[in-house]
Amino acid sequence: MDWLEDELRRALSRQDPPDGFAERVLARSRPVAFPARRWVAAAAMVVVAAGAAGAWREHRGNQAKQELLLAVRLASVPVHRVQSQIRGISQ
Amino acid sequence: MKSILILACLAALPVTAAPQQFQLNLDAVAAKASEHVDVSLSASTLQFAAKFLDGNDPDEAKVKKLVAGIDGIYVRHFEFKSEKAWSQADLEPVRAQLRGPEWSKIVGVSSSEDGENVDVWLRTSGNKTIGVAIIATEPKEVTVVNIAGTIDLETLSELGGHFGVPKVKAPEKPQKPE
Amino acid sequence: MPIEAVEAGCDFRALVRQHQAMVFSIALHFLRDRASAEEVAQEVFFSLHRNLRQIESPAHAAAWLRKVAVQRSIDEGRRRSRRPQVALEDVAEPAARFTPGDPLLSDLLRRLVATLPEAPRMVMVLRYQEDLEPSEIATVLEMPVATVKSHLQRSLAMLRGKLERRGVGESGWTG
Repeated sequence: MDWLEDELRRALSRQDPPDGFAERVLARSRPVAFPARRWVAAAAMVVVAAGAAGAWREHRGNQAKQELLLAVRLASVPVHRVQSQIRGISQ
Repeated sequence: MKSILILACLAALPVTAAPQQFQLNLDAVAAKASEHVDVSLSASTLQFAAKFLDGNDPDEAKVKKLVAGIDGIYVRHFEFKSEKAWSQADLEPVRAQLRGPEWSKIVGVSSSEDGENVDVWLRTSGNKTIGVAIIATEPKEVTVVNIAGTIDLETLSELGGHFGVPKVKAPEKPQKPE
Repeated sequence: MPIEAVEAGCDFRALVRQHQAMVFSIALHFLRDRASAEEVAQEVFFSLHRNLRQIESPAHAAAWLRKVAVQRSIDEGRRRSRRPQVALEDVAEPAARFTPGDPLLSDLLRRLVATLPEAPRMVMVLRYQEDLEPSEIATVLEMPVATVKSHLQRSLAMLRGKLERRGVGESGWTG
């Protein structure tokens, strides 16, 4: 096998990330755990304070947000493809 | 053999536009599709939706900035069971509108290897550029996008592929051992 | 953890541990900056966590992570808007001769690869770190296979030229 390609495989072989990388990722990905009694208090407050109208508004808002993200996703993929092609040619 | 048609560079181009600039008459395509996504977001709905975007999420923060000046996004996305289910003629009602004097096709990319095509038009009024139209086709997918408002195409491009799962097929051969 | 993801064998913790080296190394070899590479790698895994429900299998997860790592690395490279300019005089004086596997030669090669433009640089990383075939690289980078091969040929020729001018090559090995 070609000596340069051998050396490149050696030079570009995978390296481990710094110690604790996985733990940091997992810690930041874990949803924040509330103590049980705070969950109960929070739920009671939502029912009393938010009211049906507020909850409905939030539901509609999140629905609209998902539609917006879907629209942007569908629009951005072809634009990204075009730009990748142009960048690939110009280099 | 891949052929690339470049008409102009797709630079970072802020674009201002007017609401729903052309009709998305795609009944012929819809009739043949096995799946159909239809998203129509007016200015008021966009602003409402943007309030629920998470500013701490890098991608959602970009979307929030992107939509700040948009007056409307209208997207039609179709998927088909077989490769010859639709034809270019089905898209003619839309393409015909984009041949109007206010529209200019700024870039067209096509690949005869995998059958993918993307065409982008800008709409102009006087010296100002207004409006973006995109028609993207693959053998089993058609996507038509109509964006009205000020949009940064560079940011839109950056978001491409970041959302959801990029089109990545699970490979057939065994993965390189870790 | 979504039940579908668990059933597909897509345990997030396991995916992080299994693929952290791949994701980190793509960013590292492309950006040549450990801090930036770690940030990019973290973002890639956060993105996986948000989209875990859509992953179909462990193999799909690996391919997805590779593609997103490539995209995020390229985006970060553009944000930084600079390519390391390694003038020959900036590179530490090499040993009179390298032996195969010499760490100094590896370091030199990594720095020379880092001076390549964006597209050929990522092509080289995917070829020699990930062992991808040109057709697979073309799919990841959404570029023609012919362009991938051209980038590989020209990059290898450039590297070979720079090394051979400094007496590094098959004829340059000791023993």
